[in-house]
Amino acid sequence: SARPLPHKEQNLFRQVVKYYEAKQYKKALKAADQVLKKAPNHADTQAFKALTLNAQGQTEEAFALAKIALKNDTKSHICWHVYGLLYRSVKNLEEAIKAYKFALRLEPESQQIQRDLAFLQIQMRDYQGYIQSRRAMLNARPQVRQNWTGLAVAYHLSGDLQSAENMLKTYEGTLRSPPPRSDIEHSEASLYRNALIAEMDEPERALEHLESIAKNNLDRTAVMEMRADYLLRLDKKEEAEKAYRALIERNNEYRLYYEQLEKALGLTRTDSSCLPQLLELYDSYAKQNERLDAARRIPLDFLEGEQFKTATDSYLRRLLTKGVPSTFANIKALYRDPSKRDTIHQLVESYFADASSNGSADKSQANGDGHSDRFKQFVIYFLAQHYDYYLSRDLSKAMSLIDQAIELDPKSVDFHMTKARIHKHLGDSQKAAEMMNAARQLDERDRYINTKCAKYQLRNHENDSAIQTMSKFTRNETVGGPLGDLHDMQCMWYITEDGDSYLRQGKLALALKRYTAIADIFDTWTEDQFDFHGFSLRKGQVRSYVDMVKWEDHLRDHPFFARAGLSAVKIYIMLHDNPALKKSGGNINLTNGIGAEDLDNLDAAEKKKALKKAKREAERAEKAEQERKEAEARKNAGKKTTGGDGEPKKEDPDPQGLKLIKTEQPLEEAMRFLAPMLEFSPKRVDVQVLGCDVFLRRSKLLLALKCIRAAASIDPEDAGLHEQIVNFRKAVDKSPPTDPKLKAVLDATDDLIPAS
Amino acid sequence: TEDAPAVPASAEERKTAAALSKLEATGDDNTAPKKDVDADAIAKAMQNLDVGDKAKAPEKKEEVKKVKIDATDVGLLVDELLLSKTKATDLLKAHDGDAVKAMTAFVTAAV
Amino acid sequence: MDIRLLRSSDIPHVQQANITNLPENYFCKYYLYHALSWPQLSYVAVDVSRPPKSPYDPPKIVGYVLAKMEEEPTDGVQHGHITSLSVMRTHRRLGLAEKLMKQSQRAMAETYGAHYVSLHVRVSNHAALHLYRDTLGFTNDKVEAKYYADGEDAYSMKMDLSKYRLQLEDSEEDDDAMDVGSAGK
Repeated sequence: SARPLPHKEQNLFRQVVKYYEAKQYKKALKAADQVLKKAPNHADTQAFKALTLNAQGQTEEAFALAKIALKNDTKSHICWHVYGLLYRSVKNLEEAIKAYKFALRLEPESQQIQRDLAFLQIQMRDYQGYIQSRRAMLNARPQVRQNWTGLAVAYHLSGDLQSAENMLKTYEGTLRSPPPRSDIEHSEASLYRNALIAEMDEPERALEHLESIAKNNLDRTAVMEMRADYLLRLDKKEEAEKAYRALIERNNEYRLYYEQLEKALGLTRTDSSCLPQLLELYDSYAKQNERLDAARRIPLDFLEGEQFKTATDSYLRRLLTKGVPSTFANIKALYRDPSKRDTIHQLVESYFADASSNGSADKSQANGDGHSDRFKQFVIYFLAQHYDYYLSRDLSKAMSLIDQAIELDPKSVDFHMTKARIHKHLGDSQKAAEMMNAARQLDERDRYINTKCAKYQLRNHENDSAIQTMSKFTRNETVGGPLGDLHDMQCMWYITEDGDSYLRQGKLALALKRYTAIADIFDTWTEDQFDFHGFSLRKGQVRSYVDMVKWEDHLRDHPFFARAGLSAVKIYIMLHDNPALKKSGGNINLTNGIGAEDLDNLDAAEKKKALKKAKREAERAEKAEQERKEAEARKNAGKKTTGGDGEPKKEDPDPQGLKLIKTEQPLEEAMRFLAPMLEFSPKRVDVQVLGCDVFLRRSKLLLALKCIRAAASIDPEDAGLHEQIVNFRKAVDKSPPTDPKLKAVLDATDDLIPAS
Repeated sequence: TEDAPAVPASAEERKTAAALSKLEATGDDNTAPKKDVDADAIAKAMQNLDVGDKAKAPEKKEEVKKVKIDATDVGLLVDELLLSKTKATDLLKAHDGDAVKAMTAFVTAAV
Repeated sequence: MDIRLLRSSDIPHVQQANITNLPENYFCKYYLYHALSWPQLSYVAVDVSRPPKSPYDPPKIVGYVLAKMEEEPTDGVQHGHITSLSVMRTHRRLGLAEKLMKQSQRAMAETYGAHYVSLHVRVSNHAALHLYRDTLGFTNDKVEAKYYADGEDAYSMKMDLSKYRLQLEDSEEDDDAMDVGSAGK
């Protein structure tokens, strides 16, 4: 059905493709329309026009046109390919893969389509599909080393390490002579092969292989680390000792090297007979290097009693004399041990006493008022932080001490920061925010203190002040102003704290909007890996690529996700339980402190009045937002309308989060947060308890029970868990399940639930 | 000019944008094989590989058992466990088509 | 504080450290671009003494150096470039910046044959100037006007990496010496 185009139109068609690839979309459309004028059913032109429309954001029209194109020529691989690209752009990867497969069947020689398919497959973790694709790519171009490595990676990710190594080994076998030293692809492929051997748990063969590639390998640190690791695994203690000492010479601040060296020397920290040697070991390193911290700090972890006291005394004096602000932060982990906490406390109090009486307790300094002043200041500062810390708290002492410190150095940002923290712990978020702002004003060029100030303002419900503060460092000409820029730059902490603040204020719509933005950022991070499926093979840096893919596999176990997710799910539960919230624009505090859940308790007239007022307030907020948008549009006329990444910025259709609040299916929407939390953070009891809360409302008894069992295995005493167990029993009693299979499973597994 | 993508503000931003756009380069097709490539050795290696692949395939076929899956059971798992049809079917297959066993295993799986 | 290589999984907290401390910020993808193009060059300082709050605690990043090799060197000479370097205010005076830089610089010379390393610093940033010029030995190459988004000028600074290249040659001689007398491989 596809007739060849006349010559002129053929050229025009080529132009369309060129313009599209150069992102010159207006020109592409113009050329496409010229072709279609003469040949209105030319499917390939329609396909490219669709692609162009999509790039301009007209997704619906793009899909419609693409479908027409396909109807006009079902045998065009270009049309199917475009169809796949469109699906990919709307993140429907399954349909995209189907379309690419069609395209590939029609045009098996197309490297482009094969690659697009392959990358989608690995993006979706379709390992078997990816292996097939990479096999085909290898068969098509076996002279390109990348294709061998690519197939090896595919096998590796699918769990077949042997086949993976075999690919690399086979290719190496074809090399007539070793590649030049500067060949980074070869250097990395060799290390990758070695890492595979190690992963297959064959340290002996790994060591042998490593020795054969070590000499010319470009990643010296990796070679040394892998070698040392194998030697230790093979119990070659003397050689391992040498290897780790060599590593420590290159980087003496990496604890792993010291821990491994201890093993190589046969030393155990818990064995008191090893203590003298351990001390000698760390002493010898500390002596060599005045600035070395690790060798001085590590012994404090395993020493006890008098030895601990002596070592800590020396360590603290050193840092406090130098005036290191992180001294307390560095030491506080030791407070978990009450006797160590007390020893440290005594020591620092003694410095304080000495410093107060004779001006210097620094034994190593015979002179130096400057030094002794600094020492005293930092001793006082340490003590203030000590009394602020929850394991040794005495807030009035803390406050008095920090005031003393401030008197000695009124311009110290650090001291004002700590004072703000003390106010926070005293429960006064207003004073805390004010003090943090005072700290900020002492150094307006430092973003760290600016960040802290904004955070404390958010904790004090000052959302507007906070964004004002942040605006001193954001790109304010971005669409959406400072807040828009923070979203663009993926500033998770601010978005989450802003959301938490709105949640505490009962402003559920805005809170949910923020948490949804967090989920969106995680989606972006998932999407980010896509380009690297091709890029990393081109660059040859395969080990870091595989590491990245494995990280992406559990991306959402990051606490950033759970923090937003837990709150978002709670909001959805509230929306489910209180449909009246929809009418109040998600505001819990309607009027006179009446909460949405209290609505039902009002009489009809009061209820009508409250709802009316809430509706008026919601309308007023929407109008104010509309006016603000118009004002900003006038201001931005002619300004850049692209986001930070240069892509056209779409208008936010729901800036206040009102649409999110109005969802008819809150518990289904909640799954966007809950499902990943259950999958990737299952060991968190709060996640499991919340899961049960949701599943009981959705009448999914088995899922609720699964959560209960999981929570019980983590922390059987958890209060939330007990509540859910009661809820479960009530739910089953209220509507006992009728399906016999369901009943059978419940009977077999509800041993944790007490009988009613 | 309307078509041209907005030029980022600072020299720094331009560099960042340039680097990121390189990632999408579709120059794979033109990756030239390295000069030292021994075409004969490669061809031979490919032949051996194909043999290896064929040897593998029959092994895999043996692993696929014939398990009878009841459509209502799939529906039950989809409903009660919120699984996709594919995952529900796989779970049933892994438990010989026994829905009660499958669901019990799911509920009692350790975290 | 531990000094070690940056891994992909560190990126969320490196990004957070960056946006907390500095006005020049980047997308996650740009960090990935560095970690996956030159994985040997970027290092992080990690506070390992923190007690864990949950089973999924990521490492607490208190400092980082994000480094690369210049993709298209204008002078044709292979050189490294520091995209970003920062240490949390609360962890200053521990020499972390210097320690991070040294690890990165050595890797630039060893793995990529870098002859020198360059970076940009705001003309008004005295603390950074002191670190680069006085502690690390960078020299001013030129001024780049309005380099930063807020219009401030930057010093473009350079540091020669010959000393790392010399160390490399020394240790290669050692390797060769070890070869002599060891059984054939």
